[in-house]
Amino acid sequence: MKKVVFLFLILLITSCIFAKTPFVVMVTDTAGLGDKSFNDSVWAGIQKAVKDFGITAKVIQSMEMADYIPNLEEAVKSGADLIVAVGFLIRDSVEEIAKKYPNAKFVMIDAVVPTDNVASMVFREQEIGFITGALVALVTKTGKVGWVGGMFIPPVERFEVGYRAGIKFVNENFNKNVEVLIAYVGSFENVPKAKSLAFQQFAQGADIVFAGGGKNTLGIFEAAKEYSQKYEPKDGIRRFAIGVDQDQDWIQPGYILTSAMKRVDVAVYSAIKDLVEGKFKGGIYSLGLKGNYLSLSPMKYTKQFVPEETLKIIRKLREMVENGVIKDIPKTRDELKKFKPPKVEF
Amino acid sequence: MDKSRLRSFLAPIASIFFGLAVGAVFLLITGKNPIDTYFWMFYGAWGSPKFVAEMLTRSTPLILTGLALAVGFKAGVFNIGAEGQLLFGGIVSAYIGAYWHLPVFLHPVIAIIAGSLAGASLGFIPGWLKVKKGLNEVVITILMNYLAIYFTNYLVRGPLKYGYLPRTKPILDTAKLPIIVNGTRLHLGFILALIIAFVLYFIFERTVWGYSIKAVGFNPHASRYGGIDVNKVIVFSMLLSGGLAGMAGSIEILGLHHRFYGQFSPGYGFDGIMVALIGRNNPIGVVFAAILLATIRTGSGLVQLRAGVSKEIVWVIQALIILFVAVSYIYERFFRFGKINLQKGEG
Repeated sequence: MKKVVFLFLILLITSCIFAKTPFVVMVTDTAGLGDKSFNDSVWAGIQKAVKDFGITAKVIQSMEMADYIPNLEEAVKSGADLIVAVGFLIRDSVEEIAKKYPNAKFVMIDAVVPTDNVASMVFREQEIGFITGALVALVTKTGKVGWVGGMFIPPVERFEVGYRAGIKFVNENFNKNVEVLIAYVGSFENVPKAKSLAFQQFAQGADIVFAGGGKNTLGIFEAAKEYSQKYEPKDGIRRFAIGVDQDQDWIQPGYILTSAMKRVDVAVYSAIKDLVEGKFKGGIYSLGLKGNYLSLSPMKYTKQFVPEETLKIIRKLREMVENGVIKDIPKTRDELKKFKPPKVEF
Repeated sequence: MDKSRLRSFLAPIASIFFGLAVGAVFLLITGKNPIDTYFWMFYGAWGSPKFVAEMLTRSTPLILTGLALAVGFKAGVFNIGAEGQLLFGGIVSAYIGAYWHLPVFLHPVIAIIAGSLAGASLGFIPGWLKVKKGLNEVVITILMNYLAIYFTNYLVRGPLKYGYLPRTKPILDTAKLPIIVNGTRLHLGFILALIIAFVLYFIFERTVWGYSIKAVGFNPHASRYGGIDVNKVIVFSMLLSGGLAGMAGSIEILGLHHRFYGQFSPGYGFDGIMVALIGRNNPIGVVFAAILLATIRTGSGLVQLRAGVSKEIVWVIQALIILFVAVSYIYERFFRFGKINLQKGEG
């Protein structure tokens, strides 16, 4: 009798372990949900996984930097099977907690944590920056475009440099002379300052401004809309912003030419998929145009502003980058200086 | 006397409950369980020795910036520049902690002194300008905040950048403030902050120095007439205020973050205004006010995880509690003034 009970108990326990649905906790940086960008995008990917795999998920938004360690630790202690951390500033804390709890599993978005139990998802932003830069250089009417970045950190730098390389590529191959204005806000959350910087670039003659990250983008979109409403009736030129990280075209429909999407949602979804299938592995994952981890938005509201001819060129360019025909797109400003755009026949 | 003492103790507690009650209405409107929420909020700060240690860790910078503001208020100067002074103190300590090689005990001491001096020098300028040129310290300190924020940001992205993120080199082990409770993040800085609060209390209550600061804050003209060098007192209190704010930054870096991040402070310098007001500019009151603020902040992660309440709602509740405490303070002041006038009228 005792044996039967014992066996039954073992069966019960094991079945509990196997039947338990994976539990995922996301820990944001101080920007938090509602940035209509990075954090939201990751959360959307997790929500999709919730729907598809029936996992459970929760989010902790950090209020200040000192929150990172306790929030990550609480996530581990709550029995999370996978902890998703977002934002480069949280990186050091993830490393500390991942070392402290080697049995917990982590996904680090947008930064590298060299620990076995962390899957670090980094992107080759320069690839999508390149495509965006080429598009912008082909579309601009004033021959001047802009870039308003958040903070000068490696992922943003790769975007910026790729963007400028794309413009350089078009200048060489299409015999143009498109200029680019560069400005940085110094933070990801200073909407008014981002707006005024974008305004300045429009006033200096740029007609398309790339919004390089964070909540800043909202200010840049507003600047594009307000500037267009004021000056489009006079000179007939529509001013555009370029969205970033996820499809932001809907925020100011018609004033956002396209969005350079970093599909963090696809990345986190595939990590959760691996977890569910028992294939999760730590390490560095470098994600690019191939596999659709980077892409342009479908331009739902702005199709009429871009000629079909241009779109064809962009599609071809994308294929060339994916297949390695165009390679060594610069990642840093130093590499950009040395970058010689290849001659391509279109 | 005893009655008013009791009231000044009970009033903030009553107002906390008021804040919680109004917060509960908010939670109910958003469809969350208030009891659950408050349970996790307080559990996250007081639920276990580890949580208490974490909460005290978080109160440390608030105590020091609260004291910095309180010292200014006592002397009748408003040091809004505490945030900049804190950042300055932080980066100086981070530099000394990472690049100087000093023995174990000496290293943090030198780093803290240097950080405090950095903050003090930033406090000195507006104090000196106020005394010599009659410039308003509020304007100067606000402007100097920008100076400090952008200058430290420049340093952490430029000359002092370490690796590819905007942060400095980690400080050496010799410079780290020792952890005082094993398995937590509670470091010696907390004890240091407590000692400084007691020392300041002693200075204000028992020394001529402290008395002259209070006198200047109460009525500078009468103080001058009474033979106090008002200018000296104002410059000195700005020095002290800046020094305390600088020390707050320095202790945060040496005790908690172990390197300087551009965004390590969520605005501790501005929180100091709130802490000083809630603590009624009394150094001991400041300690309690900082612990109150840390209590409602530390549990925020746990509230989100366990009670499923979003960050924004947690913020609203925090703001409500602080609002009610601040209102009770104002109410009480007016109430007292009314009483005094009444007595005068009768007499």
